[in-house]
Amino acid sequence: MSAIVGIKSVMKMQFLRRRGMLSFFALLFVFLSFGIITGFNFLIGNATSEAILYLSTGAPAYILIITGLVMLPQLVTMSKSEGYIDYQRTWPVKRPVLLIADTLIWLIISIPSVILSIVFAHFVYNPGFSLSFTVVPGVLFTSLTCIGIGYGIAFLCKEEVAMIITQITVFGALMFSPINFPIENLPEWLQAVHRVLPVYSMGEAMRASLAQTTFTASIWHYINLGIWCIIGFGGSMLVLSKKR
Amino acid sequence: MLLQVQELSKIFNKKGHKVVANDGISFNVDRGEVFGLLGHNGAGKTTIVNQIMGLLKPTQGDILLNNSSVVRSPGIARQICSLQPQSQISLNEITPQAAVAIMGEMRGLDKKTVKKRSAELFESLRITEWVDKPSEQISGGVKRLTAFCMAAIAPVKLVILDEPTNDVDPVRRRYLWDYIGGIKKDGTSVILITHNILEAERVVDKVAIMDQGRFVSQGSISEIKKKVDSLLKLELTPANSFNSIELPEWIIFNRQQNSKLIYKLKPEHAQQSINWVMQRVDEGKIIDYAISPVTLEDVYIELTTEERRQS
Repeated sequence: MSAIVGIKSVMKMQFLRRRGMLSFFALLFVFLSFGIITGFNFLIGNATSEAILYLSTGAPAYILIITGLVMLPQLVTMSKSEGYIDYQRTWPVKRPVLLIADTLIWLIISIPSVILSIVFAHFVYNPGFSLSFTVVPGVLFTSLTCIGIGYGIAFLCKEEVAMIITQITVFGALMFSPINFPIENLPEWLQAVHRVLPVYSMGEAMRASLAQTTFTASIWHYINLGIWCIIGFGGSMLVLSKKR
Repeated sequence: MLLQVQELSKIFNKKGHKVVANDGISFNVDRGEVFGLLGHNGAGKTTIVNQIMGLLKPTQGDILLNNSSVVRSPGIARQICSLQPQSQISLNEITPQAAVAIMGEMRGLDKKTVKKRSAELFESLRITEWVDKPSEQISGGVKRLTAFCMAAIAPVKLVILDEPTNDVDPVRRRYLWDYIGGIKKDGTSVILITHNILEAERVVDKVAIMDQGRFVSQGSISEIKKKVDSLLKLELTPANSFNSIELPEWIIFNRQQNSKLIYKLKPEHAQQSINWVMQRVDEGKIIDYAISPVTLEDVYIELTTEERRQS
């Protein structure tokens, strides 16, 4: 059986099994994309054009972070505790097929809201986007890193630990991560932490892709994302393939 | 020989304690053969299956499928074996129809064959009326049968069924046994783990009885039955207390099973025992009775109890 047939079958099974929840997530991400920009605008009040640009370029990264680092590990952890992941491991497909099929589903449900958030911000606030050619690979790379880390959390951590990490991520990514504001606003120790964690690099990569005339992202951010992506997917593959 | 399990041992390390789940297990399964694995909960049956499927790595020993080692190439098992797991598969919103069709496609069947085979399967198990409902709306028994259909939709060399009849009603259990008998005739081998020993007796060719990680007996049903005495079994349901019936010396007490008392007697006392029982029935001391040869379940209980006594 070809890998394509395998991916198609696994995608079908995975999507139909949770079609209600996944459709709800897709809708939720759309509201999230509108909400972050307008909500923060209310919070700040009379936001400067620089602040609006930060919010508008940060929103897509935040959606991808919530998708990959919160929703995905929660669903995968649920499947793991139900014994469904072990059942999947008996299917007649190669182990990477399971990850690829799931990754594609998560991309399909999150990318439309990323695009909508950009379109929405452009027409409502006109924050001064200037798209770079890196926007497509940038969004994809950031998504894949989020998804990879999400799988890593779900597969490598115990159920309770994974749940705690996802809960902290929701709050931490929104309030204490330099996605919607400059990193200099944070205390120095937290800046140092964020230079190693992937969230800051995700925000910077997205910002440089969406507003290339205002922001640039150093190569380090892409290397950082690459390392986290490999750790996430690599760790997940290791767990999926490992015989206990 | 399709499957050869050789001196298989599996030891788990749980918080510093070693737990021996399988201890020197060896058995073979030929083409078109149904191999029954019987044993108490925690005897180590599912651990064997998980090693055959390549989910667990044996501590010692080897597993050969079509003469290739599963330990060295675990991918082989997934290609030529299908598994119905012990736990319910959480299918959530997908319909049984879709889940079974997707498994068929995943195993390389074309759409037409999938449609034909799944319709046959659903009809054989009489579950057609539920196959278009989301799985979260169907009963546990139909869910279990759906999992069976997912394992049986495409022809494979070995189907492993881990307690396939749990939650299934008695009528559909019969349909399931008939279907298993059918796939066996097609040349598919089956490993069957079940607690429904009496019913399984109809379809299994060979049986292994497990206790505490080891096989206490294996062979054909007649060979296994020879391991215990050739006495007849007398089951009595007394009207009042168990002590209200005085027994003749040729009836030997065996065990109590719920409201029934199980005795044994020599075949030459069969006629005598019927007369004795009928008299007690007339006196109203016994409300129900049965005399039968020893079943596989009796052998299972006897062997596993004896094993525990010795250990």
